[in-house]
Amino acid sequence: MSGDTLKSDLKKVLEEATQSIKDIDNPSDLEKLRVKFLGKKSLLNTFMKSLSDLDNEEKAQAGKKLNDTKKKINDLLGEKKISLSKSKDKEDDGFDFSMPGKASSVGSLHPITKTMNCAIQIFESLKFECVEGPEIEDEFHNFTALNIPETHPARAMHDTFYLENNNLLRTHTSSVQVRVMDQENPPIRIIAPGKVYRKDSDITHTPMFHQIEGLYIDKEVSFSNLKSIINIFLKSFFEEDDLKIRFRPSYFPFTEPSAEVDIEYIDNKGNKNWLEILGCGMVHPNVLDMANIDSTIYSGYAFGLGVERLAMLKLGITDLRLFYENDLRFLKQFQRI
Amino acid sequence: MKLTRSWLEDYIDIPGSTEDLCHQLTMAGLEVDDISKIDNDDLIDIDLTPNRSDCLSVYGVARELNSINKLYKSKPTKKNKKIESSCKNIKINFNISQKEICPRYGYMYLKNISSSLEVPENIKKRLENIGIKSIHPIVDILNYLMIDIGQPLHAYDADKIEGDITVRFAKKNEYIKALDGNEYKLTEKNIVVSDSKEIISLAGIIGSDHCSVNSETKNIIIESAFFDPKFIANKARELKMQTESSHRFERGVDFNLPEEALSQLRTIFKDNEICECSDINIISYANLLPESKEVELKFEKISSLIGIDISDSEIINLLTSIGCEYNKKNNTIKNPSYRFDLNIHADYVEEIARVYGYDNIPIVPEKISIQPSKKYQTFEIINEIKQYLYKNSYSECINYSFVNDSTLENYNWKNQEFFDHYKISNYMSVEQNKLRSNLTSSLIKNIQYNNNVNSENSYRFFEVSNVFGDNIDQVLTCVAFGDRYEENWSLKNRKFDKYDMTTIVEDIAKIFGLQKDELDYVIKDTSSNKMKFIELTLSISNLLSKVTKIPKEKFVSYSKFPYIRRDLSFLIDVTITYGSILKLIEKINVLSLKKILLFDLYVGKNIPADKKSLGMGFIFQDEAKTLTHDQADAYVREILEELRSAFKIELRK
Repeated sequence: MSGDTLKSDLKKVLEEATQSIKDIDNPSDLEKLRVKFLGKKSLLNTFMKSLSDLDNEEKAQAGKKLNDTKKKINDLLGEKKISLSKSKDKEDDGFDFSMPGKASSVGSLHPITKTMNCAIQIFESLKFECVEGPEIEDEFHNFTALNIPETHPARAMHDTFYLENNNLLRTHTSSVQVRVMDQENPPIRIIAPGKVYRKDSDITHTPMFHQIEGLYIDKEVSFSNLKSIINIFLKSFFEEDDLKIRFRPSYFPFTEPSAEVDIEYIDNKGNKNWLEILGCGMVHPNVLDMANIDSTIYSGYAFGLGVERLAMLKLGITDLRLFYENDLRFLKQFQRI
Repeated sequence: MKLTRSWLEDYIDIPGSTEDLCHQLTMAGLEVDDISKIDNDDLIDIDLTPNRSDCLSVYGVARELNSINKLYKSKPTKKNKKIESSCKNIKINFNISQKEICPRYGYMYLKNISSSLEVPENIKKRLENIGIKSIHPIVDILNYLMIDIGQPLHAYDADKIEGDITVRFAKKNEYIKALDGNEYKLTEKNIVVSDSKEIISLAGIIGSDHCSVNSETKNIIIESAFFDPKFIANKARELKMQTESSHRFERGVDFNLPEEALSQLRTIFKDNEICECSDINIISYANLLPESKEVELKFEKISSLIGIDISDSEIINLLTSIGCEYNKKNNTIKNPSYRFDLNIHADYVEEIARVYGYDNIPIVPEKISIQPSKKYQTFEIINEIKQYLYKNSYSECINYSFVNDSTLENYNWKNQEFFDHYKISNYMSVEQNKLRSNLTSSLIKNIQYNNNVNSENSYRFFEVSNVFGDNIDQVLTCVAFGDRYEENWSLKNRKFDKYDMTTIVEDIAKIFGLQKDELDYVIKDTSSNKMKFIELTLSISNLLSKVTKIPKEKFVSYSKFPYIRRDLSFLIDVTITYGSILKLIEKINVLSLKKILLFDLYVGKNIPADKKSLGMGFIFQDEAKTLTHDQADAYVREILEELRSAFKIELRK
């Protein structure tokens, strides 16, 4: 008998054993199977005896294969024995393993909350402190203090909701930066999650969405530090060490240099695309100066993440509006974010 | 900004594929949104950031490519031939009343425009390919030149202009009927060009209707001006419009372009035999043109801020490659006239990082000092509540903060009616015209929606959000509808009731080491569309303030002796609250009474209608010795006496 035929024979035996074990539903039949596949008269034992015909090297190899197969069958028999013993309980006291339990009491957390929690946990492990700011803001905190004067074309990029008292709904969580810098001295290392509002509604925009702002100010903070933190975050969030990330020059009035960050994304057709995931940059010296932080001594980085976007990419959601429909089939779908 | 590959090739040789070219543009901060095929050419759509007005032309993009990638060879720019004037200037005086608005104003007169005039084929094709509509042959050529080199130009029907032309601020309540057919009311901040009678254009934004050119136009005045961006910024947007011209002027147009544009225009007119044109006239106030600012270079700051090792000479080379001038003596740098975005040191840091290549900047983690983290942050407290609720069968919803005028919305979360809403002045739809004062109405809608599409026998939803009533409060609202338990084979089901919500309040209080009474909450039922909902709203803001004030916990020792339990069942007036019973017992101050529990509450058959039956358990335990049954009985008698005299209770057998 050659090594190759042995290999295919063993495979056949294993397949047959797997199927037979699966079909058995009582312990006595299971014992019969054990005798059939592993007993003295079993096919495997016959193979074992025929090993002596082979030369030494072949013998060793074939012997190993035989033992592997034996072990696999033995394991399967063992597992089946346990599962049969469980269902045996049913015969004694009527307890049925397959019955559903009494009313379950597990609800669900919204995928946005889960995504946010996941991101916040990563940043907290990187020693960022989580803070909150008001959703109703004034022009100063939302724009002026972020180096967006009234005539700045960048204000047009933010379609702002105004309240009747001339306050506004914050268009980004960057406004929290300003409030924190007003109150604290460097080093400042915070994230600020929350709701933001823009006058925009279509398949890719909802008038309300969620952002997480990050800010780090200290002496000697550099753009290469920013690259590092974003890399750590994205790889950790998407649970992918080899995630491809690129930084591309962009423009935000409150950071300079500014960058947009793309990650490589492979669509269902297998095409590679770059997908914009967040905006970031080094805090603009005007922003620091307006907050009375000396920009000749301190520098900092800031970033803003779109929570819905992160969730959509991670979970493969294509319609943004699902987040706000609150259908239980959507809410209860994601357990492990 | 849309352009085609072949148009770019007027200025540079492109060695590789269009995809490679677009990758380079994207990585230089000129993000390419889309590449498509058109007419054997590649159409490139660049999403330009507002700081890069210098790239709002084909020439500008070519210049950028040339400076960031030395592979591109700059082709010689189109030389302007010396062209003789073919007609005389029109007799009009040009006045610039506010010279700082418009430090440079160029114009040219075109005569005898033929009505059968045609746009040169190559110009027509290029405009078509980038999606610019044909309007009038001369206007088309002006648009072409604007896309080509970046100078917005305007054509006036010369025969409709009366008297002198003035550039000035608009007067209060002046109007312009623009060539887009709309009438705009102006303010004293708008800049206009007017003749002696009326406004002929909103400077740098849009021309007026009455002197716009059309197929009848015989003679034209071309305007090629430099308007200072700070006077144009925001003006179009305030009037709710945007034009190619306003888009460029408010971001900044190179002030060296007006003359260049007119001269190239003459070449086009001459080469294609389009019309006669006059001399180029330029009114210029050189001292009012934007001045290049000399900025001192701080080499160390540059490399430490970016996080790269870079020599001084490399920095200087990078900056000169994009057209900046370095002054060795003062160690200063100066921006070229087309870069309005380079003013302060940080602007140059950005340029160095950009041209150096973000990809080439190393990834270096920061060194941070590790501080103890603060306990009981808002986020953690809210998250703890959410975790509790979701493990207790509630599902979290997130709804928009805006709502419309529904009846429920006139109540704040404490169920008090109020009228002064946080109204949104520029709402998108009336459905979303104010900020919500409670979360109940949103959650009820969620349940009603789900009840139509899902088969559950009950719904338990919650949301944590700010509400905007008399005050802004952060609250938790739970709304339940239907059966207490999901449908199952064993548990006897019942409807949800308000005491189910009491449990939630008690549990939340316990989680944070508080008492139920310390929390600010309401429990009530609400009906909507014949459905009955049970609601709990609890103030998170209040909880947060309480939690942060809780003193540090200290261990309290407990008895090691056996306990004795005694039960009492009695009838009591229905109006007497459980709380008042507890308060009374507390007053007796039985030291050995460790715990009171309520094991039964009954109203209905077999007892008088004005009575309820309570079953209470008392657990006694002494700190120092084993309690005797006699002592326990004595305590119970004492309690019973007090209850009898205060509430006239009757013991049940």
